Amino acid sequence: MNTHVSSTAGYRIAIDVGGTFVDFVLLDEATGEITLEKQPSTPERIVEEIGAGIGRLPVRLADVGRIFHGTTVVVNAIVQEKGVRVGLLTTAGFRDVLEIGRGSRPEIYNPHYTAPRCLVPRYLRREVPGRLGAGGEEVIPLDLDAIDRESDLLAGHGCEAIAVCFLHSYADPDHERCAVERVRERHPDIAVSASHDLVGEWREFERTSTTVLNAYVQPQFAGYIGVMTRRLEADGYGAPLAMMQSNGGVVAAERAAGRPITTLESGPAGGVIGAESLAAKLGLENLICFDVGGTTVDVALIDRGEIIERSQTSVARRPVMGPTIDISSVGAGGGSIAWIDHRGALRVGPQSAGAAPGPACFGHGGTDPTVTDCHLLLGYLDAATFLGSRMQLDEAAALRAVTALAGELGLTVQETALGTLKIAATNMTHAIRSITVEKGLDPRDYSLLSYGGGGGLFAAAVSEELGVRSVIVPRAPANFSAWGIVCSDYREDNSRTLVRPFTEEHLGEMLDGIAAMKQENLERLRGYGFDETEILSDTRLDVRFAGQEFTVTVHAEEAWLSEPGTLPSGVRGPRIHNDEPVFDPLVEPSTFPTGVRKRFVALHRRLYGHGEQDAPLEVVTLRVRSVGQVARPSWPEWPAGEAAPARGTRNTCFPGSEGKQAVPVYHRDELVRDQQVEGPAIVEEWATTTAVPPGWTLAVDRIGNLVLFPGDIAMFSGSGSG
Amino acid sequence: MSNLDIITAEVIRNGVVAAAREMGTTLVRTAYNPLLYDVQDFGLAIVSPRCETWAEAPGMTVFVGALPHTVSSGIGRYGIDGFAEGDVIIANDPYTTGNHISDVSVYMPVFFEGRLLAFTASVAHWADIGGKTPGGWCPDSVDVYQEGICFAHEKIMASGEKVEGLWGMIRSNTRYPDIVIGDMQAQIAACRQGAERLRVLCRKYGVDTVNDAMEFAIDSTEIDTRRQVRAIPDGVYAARLMMDHDGVALGSPFPIAIQVRVDGDEIFISFDGTSPVRAGPVNAPEYAIRSVVRAAVKGVISPAEPSNEGDFRCITFDIPPGLVISPERPAPVDSYGYVCNACYELTMRSFAKAVPERCIAGGATLCMPTISRVNPRDGRPFILSDPFDVGNGARPYADGPTMAINVMGDVPNSPAEVVEMRYPLRIERFSLREEVAGHGRYRGGAGIYRDYRVLEDGVTLFTAHENILDPIAAGADGGSAGGPIRVVINPGTDREELMSDRGAYMGQLCAGDVIGMRSGGGGGWGNPATRDPEKVLADVRDERITIEEAKGIYRTVIHNDAGMPVLDVEQTGQLRASPHIKPAR
Repeated sequence: MNTHVSSTAGYRIAIDVGGTFVDFVLLDEATGEITLEKQPSTPERIVEEIGAGIGRLPVRLADVGRIFHGTTVVVNAIVQEKGVRVGLLTTAGFRDVLEIGRGSRPEIYNPHYTAPRCLVPRYLRREVPGRLGAGGEEVIPLDLDAIDRESDLLAGHGCEAIAVCFLHSYADPDHERCAVERVRERHPDIAVSASHDLVGEWREFERTSTTVLNAYVQPQFAGYIGVMTRRLEADGYGAPLAMMQSNGGVVAAERAAGRPITTLESGPAGGVIGAESLAAKLGLENLICFDVGGTTVDVALIDRGEIIERSQTSVARRPVMGPTIDISSVGAGGGSIAWIDHRGALRVGPQSAGAAPGPACFGHGGTDPTVTDCHLLLGYLDAATFLGSRMQLDEAAALRAVTALAGELGLTVQETALGTLKIAATNMTHAIRSITVEKGLDPRDYSLLSYGGGGGLFAAAVSEELGVRSVIVPRAPANFSAWGIVCSDYREDNSRTLVRPFTEEHLGEMLDGIAAMKQENLERLRGYGFDETEILSDTRLDVRFAGQEFTVTVHAEEAWLSEPGTLPSGVRGPRIHNDEPVFDPLVEPSTFPTGVRKRFVALHRRLYGHGEQDAPLEVVTLRVRSVGQVARPSWPEWPAGEAAPARGTRNTCFPGSEGKQAVPVYHRDELVRDQQVEGPAIVEEWATTTAVPPGWTLAVDRIGNLVLFPGDIAMFSGSGSG
Repeated sequence: MSNLDIITAEVIRNGVVAAAREMGTTLVRTAYNPLLYDVQDFGLAIVSPRCETWAEAPGMTVFVGALPHTVSSGIGRYGIDGFAEGDVIIANDPYTTGNHISDVSVYMPVFFEGRLLAFTASVAHWADIGGKTPGGWCPDSVDVYQEGICFAHEKIMASGEKVEGLWGMIRSNTRYPDIVIGDMQAQIAACRQGAERLRVLCRKYGVDTVNDAMEFAIDSTEIDTRRQVRAIPDGVYAARLMMDHDGVALGSPFPIAIQVRVDGDEIFISFDGTSPVRAGPVNAPEYAIRSVVRAAVKGVISPAEPSNEGDFRCITFDIPPGLVISPERPAPVDSYGYVCNACYELTMRSFAKAVPERCIAGGATLCMPTISRVNPRDGRPFILSDPFDVGNGARPYADGPTMAINVMGDVPNSPAEVVEMRYPLRIERFSLREEVAGHGRYRGGAGIYRDYRVLEDGVTLFTAHENILDPIAAGADGGSAGGPIRVVINPGTDREELMSDRGAYMGQLCAGDVIGMRSGGGGGWGNPATRDPEKVLADVRDERITIEEAKGIYRTVIHNDAGMPVLDVEQTGQLRASPHIKPAR
């Protein structure tokens, strides 16, 4: 397979499927110029929609070297429960693990709380004798006859996919491998997912859930990839397709076809990858990624230049293990509905008008007042120029919807609209505060990167509440997730639970495990055409104080691994105070064991406020990520010139002002490098509007980002931007 | 005077709820003790100077509801003017906090511009508090002095300064002082976080506006709650249950009885017929009982919303002193959870007679083996407390789940893979115990089989056992009760032994022995003979009931067609049409 593009630059395309639109970004690798396109997202004819959107891009597909694709096929199939019939083969004594789950009740007062229904009915969950101990040692050999018998039974019941999950398979996958081989031999038409192949980590319920979800969507997803690949080929595309994963990197479509669950959050991940790339360019260490869509706001953090990740997420309240960018979603977006609760209080979201019927002003029959309706009535949006005039907004319908709500509240329409926006902004603010406070971080140390269609209208208000330093609105914010996908690298992740005391005795075992995982990654990436020099690997360890439950993920430098040294025995290190900065290996050379220990203790202190320098540690999970680097797009300079005047004014109502006042309206594409605009002002562009409130200033940086900050330029000490 | 509008009121209410949640996040993040950061055995609230709950963070329901009273007791001691900025108060006196002695409250006054605005309060299960049983939950204490050291609202910080003597006293009277002091500091950090968020709100909106907004939130919640209470038919709804024993006077069951009187928009709770205080530690302090009853009422009236005082103003308690639910010093209270659980279930049972559609059938009792080894001669000492899921009651519209007990809130079970890595145990079975699920139109939740094979010698077992005699998991509206908890040692062998008592240490167990824990089932809802035949077919197909049970109890005829069960619609119709003779279990 030739995945690798020749050294001559060509074109790259990202396809990002969202709930309402498919976004396209075409990148000219030589110049860094991008072209945007949008196409309605209709799930039942998504391949045609994508074909049509690509067709409008000004490029021949034969000249395109890479297509990266973010998809919602998997998440939709799971949320709508439209997967195939799955059978489960599992360890004797444990067939109910999937149904019992973890048994907790997140809504503490609610006796009616119900966990999601089990996706595999009990009679399709079959037990197989065979048992490993916690160390991976065989306690009872695998009963191959039982595999034959039970898989025949599942086939007889019409299962299109079989998930295999045995206890402790992370410690030794042999039993699972044998079972999978056996099932595939007997039933070549059935898709088989094995837990060790997806997750090398412990916790049987979460691993089983992940494996079953993968099996549930696998036939459908593999089918989609087949159809999409053929369509692209028919249209002249000659290179392989790659799929965006939740971990923020792409993977060859062929490999993704067997591991659909890894693409779960591919769209939101794209935005954060774009943010990381932009933060590096601007020299910003700390960034809040603020992605406001129609239904939700998705929030993620870049802390000291690194995306904060987690090793487990959930979809439709079902757990999924695997490296994922830590993205929190709250039901507050343009389509969020304003309503009056049982106490008579005004609430906003989480219910959304969605794409159909959409906000009342979309004129598709929606009657509920939404955030977008309020923005329109207050003058932030222009009924005539919404979405580059592709859609005419119905102001009368918006007014009807908000008037009805105002009547119930006993407020004016303007008070109701401002109130709705204020409450939506507070909901967003609390979402951001909770992810920062949870990690011991202070939002005031951050800048906020605003994207998604609705970000620009909320960014300043939310930033003011949080006290963040500045707001950055990148170019083409509504297509930013797609732009992030176009910037992505190939990523292969490997992890393995190996619970051992972090002592000299076990050092060899850890290093061997790391080396083996790295080797697997490298082989895959080489298979995609990358050579050694283009591959970077990154090793992390989940470590904890012996006896504790929570682990902290610690990054191990490559240099430590190549010369691991030994563990110093009996050395009692000095106590580090809470305010001591995170251990920096660039300043302080170290060996593998001392480096890991120092970093662990420093991080533990930052997260939990305490940590003994010399307490015994335990390693729990080893993680290796390998990245096949794709050339970064360059950043064209934004044109300089004479400051553009406002195109006109619009009557807009900002909070705190008496009614509407005439506010200058600028067109973003006309603003020039270093131009400054004082609030109040509105900046419009295709698919996004940015509000500059009174007392705020906007400046255009060297590469065309809008930078907003409270006060005037003299007060702004600089976000490092431009 | 403030100029409160409805928008600002909602923004402030949201802000105070978020402040309480940030307190919870801070506690979890900075705690030392796994019971806090993993099991979430804590409660947090923001309480007004009038001792009304403004907001709370998710945690154990029994804790959160007791905090306003804890603060009120503190005000009783110091007077409302007796607090200074920077004071932090510690209390675990069971009779004025409503907890057992291991659950320690830490709270602080929040001042703004010199005015007392509120209290931020926390309660958390400490790793140890002295006393005869490490970690608390003593099964057989006879007075509170055996249970641990007691703080009657002492200032551990006075005007921002550590009261060193008290810190030293805690350090030298607890078994794991580093963890205990660490957790106490985490509680202080949580209270400070809440205080800081409240002050930010005051700076932005003014202290009067914040006060008014919270009063408005409480008042409007109260109005809504009362509207919903008016919709409940007036009347007295009562329920009663016999408890097995009190841990000291074994073999002498005692009653818990509750009466719920609904009159217009008021709810009156009384306990006529409830046992006087007991000799053993099952007594539950009055404010714990109030707290669980409030939680059950909220579960009936507005289960999904975060709570404030307005949820509870319609409830009036009549609790005379000296009962098992209103013990006075020095009555022992360390294993108060059984009676708390019973009061929750009895409140729910009572409401099920008034507003069945809002209730659930009875749930099974706590199932928590404690497996340990103390003597290092046999190997590394360890202790595993392993609470796991039980059958919850059926709903009037759906089968009951298998989940944590109701008063526990959000407590997850432990993965077998994690348990086996840490302890010399192998879990050989973790599966549904369908045969104890209560029958009904909707079935109660199944119990669970959890078998631990002991891999090394010298291991002992201690279990929580209650409600064997009189099933707590009652059925509703014609459904049958769930079956009880069971503990079987070496099940299915000739050495099989059934344990039927709590408080006893079983052992010593040796390598190869099996501890068979079986949690109870939930009660069913409605007449099983009216269950949807397709559901009965699925139950047979899924091996939850037998073909015989389908016919005898569910009056549904199912044939076995080459290994697959098939519904006989015609015969089922005939059977259901004929007079119903055989009652449900």
